[in-house]
Amino acid sequence: MPYEENFFFLSEIIGKPVFTPTGRKMGKLFDLVTERSEIYPAVLGMIISFGLKRNLSYIPWNSVKTLFPEAIVLTENERQFFPLSQVNENMALREELLDKQIVDTHGAKVERVNDLHLLISNHQVRLAHVDVGLRGLMRRVGWERMIDRAFDWLFAYKLPNRFISWKFVHTLSTHPNFVRLNISQTKLSQLHPADLADIMEDLSIHDRVAIFNSLDVETAAEALEETDPKIQKSLIETVSPEKASDILDEMSPTEAADLLSDLSPEKADRILEGMEQEKANDVKELLTYNEETAGGLMTTSYLAISPETTVDETLTMLRTQGSSLDIVYYVYVIDKDETLQGVVSIKELLRAKPENLVKDIYETRLICAKVDDNADDLAEIFAKYGIRAIPVVDESNHLKGVIRFKTILEILAPELGK
Amino acid sequence: MSDHPLTPEILESAPRRQGIVKKMTLFFALMGPGIITSMVDNDAGGITTYSLAGAEYGKALLWSLIPITLALIVVQEMCARMGVVTGKGLSDLIRERFGAKITFYLMIVLVLTNLGNTMAEFAGISASLEIFGISKYISIPMSAAFVWWLVVKGTYKSVEKVFLGACFFYAAYIICGFIIKPDWGDVARQLVTPTFSMDARFLTMLIGVVGTTIAPWMQFYLQSSIVDKGLKVGDYRYARFDVIQGSIIVNVVAFFIIVVCAATLFKDGIRIETAKDAALSLYPLAGKYCSWLFAFGLLNASLFAASILPLSTAYFVCEGLGWEASIDRKFIEAPQFYAVYSLSILIGAGTILLPNFPLIKIMLFSQVLNGIVLPVILIFMLILINDKKLMGHYTNGPISNTIAWATTVVMIILSIFLIVSPLKL
Repeated sequence: MPYEENFFFLSEIIGKPVFTPTGRKMGKLFDLVTERSEIYPAVLGMIISFGLKRNLSYIPWNSVKTLFPEAIVLTENERQFFPLSQVNENMALREELLDKQIVDTHGAKVERVNDLHLLISNHQVRLAHVDVGLRGLMRRVGWERMIDRAFDWLFAYKLPNRFISWKFVHTLSTHPNFVRLNISQTKLSQLHPADLADIMEDLSIHDRVAIFNSLDVETAAEALEETDPKIQKSLIETVSPEKASDILDEMSPTEAADLLSDLSPEKADRILEGMEQEKANDVKELLTYNEETAGGLMTTSYLAISPETTVDETLTMLRTQGSSLDIVYYVYVIDKDETLQGVVSIKELLRAKPENLVKDIYETRLICAKVDDNADDLAEIFAKYGIRAIPVVDESNHLKGVIRFKTILEILAPELGK
Repeated sequence: MSDHPLTPEILESAPRRQGIVKKMTLFFALMGPGIITSMVDNDAGGITTYSLAGAEYGKALLWSLIPITLALIVVQEMCARMGVVTGKGLSDLIRERFGAKITFYLMIVLVLTNLGNTMAEFAGISASLEIFGISKYISIPMSAAFVWWLVVKGTYKSVEKVFLGACFFYAAYIICGFIIKPDWGDVARQLVTPTFSMDARFLTMLIGVVGTTIAPWMQFYLQSSIVDKGLKVGDYRYARFDVIQGSIIVNVVAFFIIVVCAATLFKDGIRIETAKDAALSLYPLAGKYCSWLFAFGLLNASLFAASILPLSTAYFVCEGLGWEASIDRKFIEAPQFYAVYSLSILIGAGTILLPNFPLIKIMLFSQVLNGIVLPVILIFMLILINDKKLMGHYTNGPISNTIAWATTVVMIILSIFLIVSPLKL
C-alpha cells in the first residue's frame, strides 16, 4: 500500500469515502472486519455504508487497493458487495470494540476503548493495540490538535498515548454468532484471582456473568473466594447446581460455608448434595458455627497426622495433597481421638531426617484457640505469637479446624485491598 | 460425621441464616437513590420558581403539578430500570450506543448547566443565612467546606444517610402550609382545573416549573447511584417504589410552596424576585415561624443540592472520560473523581463571593441549556430503553412509551418556546 506510515487509527479511516478505480463513489467506510485471534488479528474485509438509510455491505479485503492518503479505492469497477452475513463469527471492530469496555489482562483492569491502533505491512492490515488513553478520546472528538497546543502552551507537556497490546485484551461483548475460542480463556486464568475478582466487580452484571461462566472450575472457585459476598451470591446463582457443586468443591471449606449460608436452604441443600462427600461433611460442620467466632472462620483443609508418622511420610502427604490444602506451613499432630498433641512446621520437617518420627520433633507447647473465641481474641494470639495459623479446638481439646492469618486480616481491616 | 444429606432444618437453625430484621434493613437500605434524586429537584432554583409561581399566579399553576409528577415518574423509572437491568450508568449506555463524540459534547453541556445550578445553590445558602444575619463571606466558605468534607471523607452509605436526613427537613414547607390555613376547597379545585394562558410570562413560568422538575442531570445521577449501589434485577421493585414515592413527595413539597405563596403573597399582591424575598415577605403576613421555616427550607435545600450537583458532575465527567468514579473509593484510587468534585464546589462557591457577579443571567442561561438538552436526552433514553438486545424483556410497554414520547414532544415544544420567547420579548 503506497503510504509511508506503518500505523494508523481506526478513527482516521471511518467515514472515508470508498471509490471504484473510475471514480464512482460506492459509499463510506463503516467498519473493519478482522479474524478472531490471540495475536494481531488480520483484517479480512470492510463494511461500507451507502446512502442515507445506511445500507451496509461487506467487501472482502482483496477487493481493496488503497486505503490512503485521500480515499479508499477498490480494485475493480464492478460491485464487490456481499451481504453482512459474510461477517459470520469474525469481529467487526467498530461494533464490538469501539466505545466498549474490555479487560486489560496485563494491568488487571477494566478499560473503555477510545480508538483502535492498526498496523499495515505489505498489503495486510492487522489490529495491534487498543487505545484507552485520553489522547485517543480527544482524537475521536476531533480535539487532538487543540489539546496538544493547549497542553504544550500551558505545561509544555504532550499527552501520551495509552495503548494496550491486543494480546492482553479480553473482549466482553458477545456477538450472536460468536463462539469464543477456548484459548482466550487462558488470558483470564493468568490473572491473580484477587485481580480477577476486582475486574468482575467492576463490570456490569451481564459481562460479569459472561466472564464467570467462561472460567474453568478451579479459576472460578479461586476468583469467587476473593469476591464480595453479595456478588458471590449472585454469581453462584447463575450457574447450574451441578457446576455450583463442582466449584464449591474447589473452594476452601470455610469460604464455601460462608457462601452457602447466604443462599436459600433449598439451593444450598442441592449444592451440598452434589459435592464430594468429604468436602460436604466439612462444610456442613463449619455451617454449625457462628460466623463471628473461630468456628466460623476456620478451615478444615489442613493436614493432621499421628505422632508415629515418619517425616518422609509426612512430606509425601504434603506433596500429594498440597494443592488442595489451605494450610501447608504447619502440620498438626493428633492422637486417635483427634485430640491435638502438637504441631510441626514445614521448616522442621525439611530440616529433619526422613526416617525420624514426627513425635520426636513436634512442638508440644501449644498455641491454640477455642471454637467460640471471637475475632479480637484471635487477633491477640496472632499478634502475640507471630504464627501464621492457629489451630482451633473444642472443650475436650479435639482439633476442629485451623485459622489462617489472611482470614484475620480480612476481619480486622476489611476496607483494605478492596 | 453423619452421611445423611443435610436437612433443611439444620440449615434453618444455623446461626448464619438471614432473618426478617435483616430483610427489612435491606429494604430500607435499597431505597435511597430515588428519594434523594427527586428531592434535589427542590433546590434553590426550584424553590425560587415555585415561590414566584405562587406569588404571581396564585393557585393557577397548581394543576400542572399532576402531569409533571406523572412525567417525572415515567422518566425516572426508565432510568432506574436501565440501571438495574444493564448495571451501567446512563452516559456509559449513551457512549456505547451513540459513540464518543455525542457523549463528549453532551457531557460538556451538562457540566455547564450543573455549574450554573451549583452557583445558584451557593447563592441560595448565602441568601437564606443572610436572613438570619450571617454574612456571605462566612456562610459560603463554611458551607463549601462542609459539603466538600461530607463526600470526600464519607462512604456511599454515610453520605446517603445525611442526604436522607435532609429530605426529612423539607417538611418545613408542609408545616408552613398548614400554619397558613389556606382555603383548601379552592386549592383542591385549582389542582384539578387546568388554567392556560398564552401570555408569554405565564408560559415562561410554566416552562420553568416543568424544567426545574425534570432536569437532565438528574437522570444521569439517579442511574449512576443505582449502579453504584449494586442493585440487581431482583431488587427492581424496590428501586421502582423508591422512584415513585420520591417523585410524588417532591411534587407535594412544590405544591405546598405554591400554596403558601399563593395564599399570602398573591392575595396581597406582593411582588418578589427571589426566594429570599419570599421568606422575608412572609414575615408580616404569616408570622415569624413561617418566615423562618421558609428560610430554613431554602437553606436545607441549597445545602443538600450543593452537595449533590458537584457529585453528579464528577460522576459523569469520570464516566465519560473513563476515569474511576465512586464515593466508596478513596482519594488515591479515584483522584480525578474527587478533583472534579472539588473543582465544581470551588467554582460554584467562589463565584458567588465575587462582587457584581451576574448570577441571574447565568441561571437563566443554565435553564435554557437545560431546556434544550432535556428532549435530546429523553430521545436517547427512549431509543436505549426500547432496545431488546440491551434490556431483554424489560423494554418499555406501550403505556410507558406513550407517556414518555408525549412528555418528550411537549418538552420539545416548550423548549422551543423558551428559546424563542426571550427573542420575542
